[in-house]
Amino acid sequence: MEFSYIFWWVIAWMIFWALVGSFVTRRIYLHRDLDTSNATFVGSMLGAATGPFGLAPLWMKSPDLTNRFVVFPALGAVTLIAAAFAFADPSNNCVANGSFVASQIVNGLIIGIIYGFMALGLSLIFSILGVVSFAHGEFYMVGGMITYFATVVWFPGLNPALGILIACAMTFALGAAFERMFLTPMYEGKIERPVEYGILVTFGLAFTVQYFVQAVAGANPVKTQRYIDFPRLRWPSAEDPWLVKSSRGNMELFDTVSISNPRFTAAVMCILVLCALLYFLHRTWTGKALRAVSQDREAAAIAGINPDRMNMLAFALGGMIAALAGAMLVQAFSWLPQVGNIPAMRSFVIVVLGGLGSLPGAFLGGIIVGLVEAAGTGCIPDAQKAASYIPAYGMIVLTLTLLLRPTGLFGRRFASGTHGKF
Amino acid sequence: MKKHHTPQLAGVALIAFFALFPFIYSAGDYDYIMHIAITGFFYAILASSWSMLAGYAGQFSFGHIGFMGVGAYTTALFCHYLYLSPEPTNICTEFLIGEQYLILVNPIGVTSSTLTQDCLRQALSIWDGSVQITPMPVWLGIILGTIMGGIFGLLIGLLVLRLRAAYLALFTLGFAEILRATISAEILITRGQAGIELPHLFDNGITLFGHAFTRTDKLPPYFAMFFLLLLCLGILAWLAKSKFGLFVRALREDQDAAAALGVNTTRYKVLVFVITTMMAAAAGAMQAHYVGIITPNNLFLLQMSLVVAMAVIGGVENFVAAAIGAIVIEFVLEMLRNSFDIGGITVDMTIWRLVIFGILLMLTLRFSRNGLILPLIEHFTRGHVAKETVAKRAAGASS
Repeated sequence: MEFSYIFWWVIAWMIFWALVGSFVTRRIYLHRDLDTSNATFVGSMLGAATGPFGLAPLWMKSPDLTNRFVVFPALGAVTLIAAAFAFADPSNNCVANGSFVASQIVNGLIIGIIYGFMALGLSLIFSILGVVSFAHGEFYMVGGMITYFATVVWFPGLNPALGILIACAMTFALGAAFERMFLTPMYEGKIERPVEYGILVTFGLAFTVQYFVQAVAGANPVKTQRYIDFPRLRWPSAEDPWLVKSSRGNMELFDTVSISNPRFTAAVMCILVLCALLYFLHRTWTGKALRAVSQDREAAAIAGINPDRMNMLAFALGGMIAALAGAMLVQAFSWLPQVGNIPAMRSFVIVVLGGLGSLPGAFLGGIIVGLVEAAGTGCIPDAQKAASYIPAYGMIVLTLTLLLRPTGLFGRRFASGTHGKF
Repeated sequence: MKKHHTPQLAGVALIAFFALFPFIYSAGDYDYIMHIAITGFFYAILASSWSMLAGYAGQFSFGHIGFMGVGAYTTALFCHYLYLSPEPTNICTEFLIGEQYLILVNPIGVTSSTLTQDCLRQALSIWDGSVQITPMPVWLGIILGTIMGGIFGLLIGLLVLRLRAAYLALFTLGFAEILRATISAEILITRGQAGIELPHLFDNGITLFGHAFTRTDKLPPYFAMFFLLLLCLGILAWLAKSKFGLFVRALREDQDAAAALGVNTTRYKVLVFVITTMMAAAAGAMQAHYVGIITPNNLFLLQMSLVVAMAVIGGVENFVAAAIGAIVIEFVLEMLRNSFDIGGITVDMTIWRLVIFGILLMLTLRFSRNGLILPLIEHFTRGHVAKETVAKRAAGASS
């Protein structure tokens, strides 16, 4: 960076006013007997974005903190950081190079959709069972592994769609069996601290599955072929200028943004399955029962729904969603038994960011984390360091979320059970 | 009441056994067994302090291995970058302290030392053996590592104050991961995946009771680690017996109720975090000096899984059970290393043993939630109490 001191001074200024804003705003709102649930967040964001100029009127008038106050200061703070970065380092690739920025944003969006889809499974499990599954990354890994084995080792030349179906079916069965065997004692009140038990026992599953796969499949990275080739295309005309150009493994938009085939197909698949899932959750009896259980167990039981059955379905379905994400990405990345660790961490971050148990929150959180990672890898000057720090970007998001707004974007209060306790 | 003293006697016998073991045992694999024992003690410290944090205080932190790494890396960096010299080098950053110059070696990462040497090596080649530099004492590094672990524990403890259960587990896991990512990425300072070499625990050898030990002898580190374990267990026992133990258990059961009864929940939550992380850091620093190298791979999630599994299988609600569990499991895991053949298929036990271990962890959680060793201890201490209670209740119900 050329003028890195500008950047760090702006950051220090923002942090200072964010701290002042968060503490003082909460104090003032408490003092005036107003709703303080958003006060810390709005105070810190407004402080970061505008400094004393925005905070002073807020403190004087202390308006109702509606969603407008939640969204705009946050956007302002992000803009300010971006502007400070642009001034501090004008020759940086992600300031000076417009096509690079567009490419990063599009790729961040695409990978964010996949992240969000995977986190959706974790959120589904949490909203029904009240357990954060520490084995989520392992379901992702197993999904990819089974797809590889089905299409390459067991039945060479098998249609990849069938391989993915096999992977989904097997992980669904694994999830259901594990839930029946190990999670059932949680519901009967036999355990003193069910949440901790859930964490530990899924942790045990993760450990076992990871080494089981390593023992069976070995520690060499594997990868499948592309599932589908793009058609060769040049649109609208064969001559320049063109808007879309595609070869078999790659697609280019507007001569600037390049999208690789495996990620694109994975994202499209994720959106399709997401639509199917939404249809299932909102239009079928079982899906409605699932949502009912997530809202209020006892009321659902009175209405004739068996909550235990829904627990099994939710855990199996959540695991299967992760496995599907893995099955789609095994064509893009090299697959190892340890490959699930970072996606699992990322899913945790996304789920907390979106609000534990919130499905739209998980999806939106996924896109945000995808964009943040794209910005982080693109903008940090030293490319090697930028890649090493990938797990850290999500953690910064997580820390900020937990400090400022522990309920996440769409957090809600749960009627019963162990949910929402933090 | 005779039964009541069995655990104490067993404890004394166990301590005596481990204290005498190196003198009695004299088979050919002496060094190997001693190495396993030292590693077992190391894991015992981690598992018992984790059981204080998770089992007593109910704070399920998955960052324990990260704090271990803080301790290890602090002493590694301290011993790697600071030296004392009677002469100024005039190349390095240096401060005059009394008669000696404190030399701060400039970080050069993992570049080949023959091409770009750091400033101290350049100075040494200029002096050509005429000046003797002194490395920093190992014990000071371990103490600094412990303190640094406590500082990190304080900061993280303050950050996670409001978090419960799943949020706490996620955040601490994230802390460990971020630490590992940072250490792997900052190659210039930490040498990344190559790891930092440390001086051995007793680098110049040590003479005990007229017997000179070289630096690779296993006996001195064995007793160093053993005494550290005893020290940690002693502190934990004292804490568990005192008001502190009562308060943190009250925190675990119901934080709001504890606060209503006048327990300063904030202070005790942070305090238990700081104490246990300091223990983890001390263990990490000593183990790093014993092994002689620390790499980011020592902070992997696998290590944390091992600590958790050891504590759970031993019995997470009793730190002695967790410590014994750790030592036993370390030995069993090492014994299971031998691969064997069934019908022409080689079973690679180096990996299958971990699968078995994972299944054992899940089964222990499912069917014997207090672990496998804690029930044994409780059988001798509280068995009669439980029986009395049952008898009283039965009498009360019938009357």
